[in-house]
Amino acid sequence: MKVVVHLLRRHWLWPAAIVAALLLPFAFFDWAHGHHSGFVLVLLSQIGLMTIFALSYNMLMGQSGLLSFGHASLFGLGSYCAAHAMNAVKAGTFWLPTELIPLVGGLGGLGFGILLGYLATKQRATAFAMITMGMGELIAACALMFKGFFGGEDGITTDRVLGTSILGVSYSAPWQVYCLVVAWTAIATLLMRLQTQTPLGRMANATRDNFERAQFVGYDPRMVRFRQFAASGFFAGIAGGLYALVYQIVTFDTMSADTSAAALLAAYIGGSGSFYGPILGTILVVLLQSGVSLLSNAWMLYVGALFVIMVMFAPGGLAGLISRHEPIRRIGRLRALLIPYLRLLFPGFITVAGTVILVELTSFATIGSAEGQHLQIGARSIDPANGMPWLTGAVVLVVGGVWLRREARNFGVRWNMLIEDAKTKWTRP
Amino acid sequence: MEVFVVTLLNGLVYGMLLFMLASGLTLIFSMMGVLNFAHASFYMLGAYFAYSVSTHIGFWPALVVAPVLCGLIGAAIEMYGLRRAHRNGHVAELLLTFGIALIIGTAVEMGWGMMPAPYRVPSLLDFPLFAIYGTQFPAYRAFMLLISGAMFGAIWAGLKYTRLGLIIQAALSHPDMASALGHNVPRVFTFVFAAGTALAGLAGVIGGNYQVTEPDMAVAMGPVVFVVVVVGGLGSLTGCFIASLLVGMVQTFSVVLDYSLADLLRLGGVQVTDTMPFNELLTMSLPRIGPLLPYALMLLFIAFKPRGLMGTRDT
Amino acid sequence: MDQAVNHAAPNHPAIVLRGVRKQFGRTEIIRGVDLMIPKGERHALIGPNGAGKTTLFNLVSGRFSVTSGSIALNGQSTAGLAPHHINRMGLSRSFQITSIFPRMTVFENIRCGLLWARGYGYSSWRLLTSGRAIDRETDAVLEKLNLAARRHVLAGLLTYAEQRALEIGITIAGGAEIILLDEPTAGMSRAETDAMVTLIRSISAGKTLLMVEHDMGVVFELADRITVLVYGEVVASDTPGHIRANPAVQNAYLGTGDN
Repeated sequence: MKVVVHLLRRHWLWPAAIVAALLLPFAFFDWAHGHHSGFVLVLLSQIGLMTIFALSYNMLMGQSGLLSFGHASLFGLGSYCAAHAMNAVKAGTFWLPTELIPLVGGLGGLGFGILLGYLATKQRATAFAMITMGMGELIAACALMFKGFFGGEDGITTDRVLGTSILGVSYSAPWQVYCLVVAWTAIATLLMRLQTQTPLGRMANATRDNFERAQFVGYDPRMVRFRQFAASGFFAGIAGGLYALVYQIVTFDTMSADTSAAALLAAYIGGSGSFYGPILGTILVVLLQSGVSLLSNAWMLYVGALFVIMVMFAPGGLAGLISRHEPIRRIGRLRALLIPYLRLLFPGFITVAGTVILVELTSFATIGSAEGQHLQIGARSIDPANGMPWLTGAVVLVVGGVWLRREARNFGVRWNMLIEDAKTKWTRP
Repeated sequence: MEVFVVTLLNGLVYGMLLFMLASGLTLIFSMMGVLNFAHASFYMLGAYFAYSVSTHIGFWPALVVAPVLCGLIGAAIEMYGLRRAHRNGHVAELLLTFGIALIIGTAVEMGWGMMPAPYRVPSLLDFPLFAIYGTQFPAYRAFMLLISGAMFGAIWAGLKYTRLGLIIQAALSHPDMASALGHNVPRVFTFVFAAGTALAGLAGVIGGNYQVTEPDMAVAMGPVVFVVVVVGGLGSLTGCFIASLLVGMVQTFSVVLDYSLADLLRLGGVQVTDTMPFNELLTMSLPRIGPLLPYALMLLFIAFKPRGLMGTRDT
Repeated sequence: MDQAVNHAAPNHPAIVLRGVRKQFGRTEIIRGVDLMIPKGERHALIGPNGAGKTTLFNLVSGRFSVTSGSIALNGQSTAGLAPHHINRMGLSRSFQITSIFPRMTVFENIRCGLLWARGYGYSSWRLLTSGRAIDRETDAVLEKLNLAARRHVLAGLLTYAEQRALEIGITIAGGAEIILLDEPTAGMSRAETDAMVTLIRSISAGKTLLMVEHDMGVVFELADRITVLVYGEVVASDTPGHIRANPAVQNAYLGTGDN
């Protein structure tokens, strides 16, 4: 009992996060009619399963230094496996608790991870990236060929109300599925976190840092890559299994290059150098995808631009940016950055607004008009053919940009001063 | 027989188109170590630029303007993006080009809409050049061969007979020498990158009205070009050429040859029935599995000949 | 076959090179080297730049394969073996350019050096939580290296001399019987070099040491025997006193006697 209390106190963040996740949908609860917002539940479920997917991706990118462009194959194949399992259970072919369906996905992902990984991990670095891309394309091409397994263009539909729950839950309601997603997300995240502290996890880091040195401590870098790849396939498959449960249909979208790209973006933007980075990235990317895509046709442009900016200026991602504050936090001078950040905020906002105005105008001028949409801000309709909005947008962008540049320089000066301070006051970690 | 000759010619056309793309990619990759994920995006840009210039001015100016625009954009990306990302390693450079590909993809959608652009073969070239066994061979395809052949010749001559070409040749197989040579290496890199993207743009100009000019072009063409690079091997333009033709032929012939493994077995007297295991696989016709053949080829090479056909270096 | 030989003559020399040649394209870098290093000897490999010393190291450690000739470690041939197999046979090496795990802590760097040797393998099950024997061993190595105070620092942030020491640490942590050190004191000050010499002496006690060095002071302090390599060939292989007096060596390499 004492051990449990001690563990809870040291790692209080975990149960706190789980509780927060379970409480969050209630912020959007429709109290008048007494039910949850279906949209919010599905969105949060998506965040949950994508978190597992992005974390599994980071087992390759951040932990092992392996850039994969075909990770969605493992996700999708796991998803198809789970869907078939669900249909088999429904048909009475065998019995499996609904709660363990994601495990079927995981085993499918593991199996294919071993199969595909055997070839892919023969190489590393850029060659590995090319192989995974080819594999991803190959499997996506197979989707329309093997109708039995992939169900052709329509995919495989399934029904999650299997009646085999060991908790006696029907899973007909999105809320029940969401709880299952939260549970699996917590379990998968915990397992992946623990895996980083195993010999394989440590050597994956080592092989990433220096594969020759890894050889000279007795490890075969190829075996390390191979096993790490298979393990990441297992977790990607779990995410796929949850996908099948949540959406009850699996199409070849799940194996597409876009899905692989989503994992890459989420993991990188969040910060591939830290374990929790991909979680941040997933939340951001899914919110952008679901939220911004409702308002704008150009959401991919924004994500792409954000990604490029991060690659050039903040390769450590959001987590990296946060951890850069650590030295300053340790000397207790974080508050000194408050005003500089606020001074950045306003011009930053204006610059972004200017960019958004121009991008959206372009978007509505071409895509929007083709689809008969009109740019509306509030009640006013804005005509992209008119020159004024363009001029406004350009002016806002330029003004914001110039101001931002000046404030960024000031911020940089302040930042360097604080970092120097931190270095001198804290010579020993 | 007639089918064979016609398909052979078509395969040649497509293979040369692939070579225009793959040669730029191989040059950039071999010299700078950067896998330009956005290479096919420049192919797409070239097609779209050519379409816009064609509709407003004409096809022949487009043949010059579009590649130049692509080259300029490529130069800008190299100078302001890649050089900065280079500090953080090859992975950062690859990711940067990946991000650029995303941006170009959406920008094209926004700039020209999501429907295919009606980029047509210029009427001057829209006639059958000759007939083989009754099938017409369009003059435009001959034109494509002419342009791609001229390009290949120009690259070959440039590499062999100009000073810059010699530097590039050396750097292809021994990239570290590039720095030791004392030349303005950054400028050479910018030039190579811009030349590569301009070449991709030119391929887009002539390929855009041969295939369909649509926002998905880059995604459809991109992976196949990577297959060519892997199969051809690093550091060898000849290998790239052979691989381009090989992959081009494979893809073109697979569409035409409507046979399956079951047909092959029938020759040997074995009849494949519905109840046999793997019957779905055995009765699958070549056109149906066509899309995955290039990737299967790439995987075979990775497994058995990782250096590709004529590669001089490991990746 | 090898087993019988081992039983009959358990005192195989640690390293035996017979007629080793190495060609890169058309250039022959190593032109027929014969070398025999008995167990427990401290052996130095010296020679002018470009003589092929690092190439020889790469051949012995399995990074390159020989064009012809044979290399045997403790009586077992290393032909066709990958570097990690050779390492498991009991050979470990350091590199001319510091080769550590820069994004991991000093502690983890050393621990990685112990993982395979202590049988942890590729396990995805066993958790490396604190309190295990391997952690105590790691701490012991850190003490020897004088890096115990820096155990939580990322290896990439250490000073040059500290990184070189860490590199040695990773090399010997697993208990390899045959240690190859490639220019361990390169770029060091006098004081750092002296500290490194003391360290090398302590970690190579009872082990076989093969070392490439340019600092003659270090060589004459540590080596039991010295081999001089010039243009891929062995010019002399003898005790330090004889090497000093060897006129051919003096002409080719040592100059008029000053270091």
